[in-house]
Amino acid sequence: MQLIEIIEKLNLKTLTNVEERNVEGVFISDMLSDVMTNAKSGNLWLTIQTHKNTVSAANLVNLAAIVITHEKEVPQETIDLANRFYVIILGSDLSTYELVSKLVGIGLTP
Amino acid sequence: MHEEKCSHIWEMVDVIPCFIITEKCYHCGKIATYFSTEHTPPIEEYREGVHLWNFMGSAQSIKFNLKCTKCDKLEKFDELLGVMMCTGCDEKCEVNVLLKKLEPKRTWIYVAFGYLPIDEKKQLSPKQISILEDYFNQRRKSSKSTIKIVSHKLVNNIANCYAEIIKDVDMLCLTLPEK
Repeated sequence: MQLIEIIEKLNLKTLTNVEERNVEGVFISDMLSDVMTNAKSGNLWLTIQTHKNTVSAANLVNLAAIVITHEKEVPQETIDLANRFYVIILGSDLSTYELVSKLVGIGLTP
Repeated sequence: MHEEKCSHIWEMVDVIPCFIITEKCYHCGKIATYFSTEHTPPIEEYREGVHLWNFMGSAQSIKFNLKCTKCDKLEKFDELLGVMMCTGCDEKCEVNVLLKKLEPKRTWIYVAFGYLPIDEKKQLSPKQISILEDYFNQRRKSSKSTIKIVSHKLVNNIANCYAEIIKDVDMLCLTLPEK
């Protein structure tokens, strides 16, 4: 499924620049070491972590985008770093659980 | 398949969750790092040769090895503390120079760190760093961008480097979050 389609269907906020990418599955974790170990290239990463090091972890394994759930505010330094390294950060008012439910609803399955 | 002829496809194996412990010697001022696999990271001060090590902080991370899925060759990474993405904070730093050169091609620079003190601990070999780079590029499955991993020896001044090793600070560590 294409990232832009997911953004439109789930009304996700674009916190950084966005480009079209193919999304292959979802990864949920709040630990960067977990991302380094288990996330797959092309995954949509759902987390509440907003530290700038999330950009480093997402870029290392080539994630499609980071989605910050629970309407958490993302520091400007994280957004600036993400834009420089073409890491896409999206935001959602929903809880991680609610967002997962909607992702499954639009057909994005593991 | 013979290891020498194999074009290795690496996978992460032997993953162990652990704590990166940072400590300082009050006698000589050196900083040391090591991995602890204990459930609670040790915080007691202790003597080691000329050093008197005192706990400074901890963060959760992982240790791992890489194994070729085709020939079963195991490459151990006992000397790897972690990797850090260069954010280009120091104009004089060789890593930043490399980033500026490769950034237009969307090649991002990561620095592989060994343990501190650098002059007292065995460090990663160029071959290990090359294998680590191959592993993460194989995993990225992207023709649009790549990563390059370099040794921390290229960093101009580690103490002033703005970037951070990928680790989980303030999650399960013993240090309190900064207010």
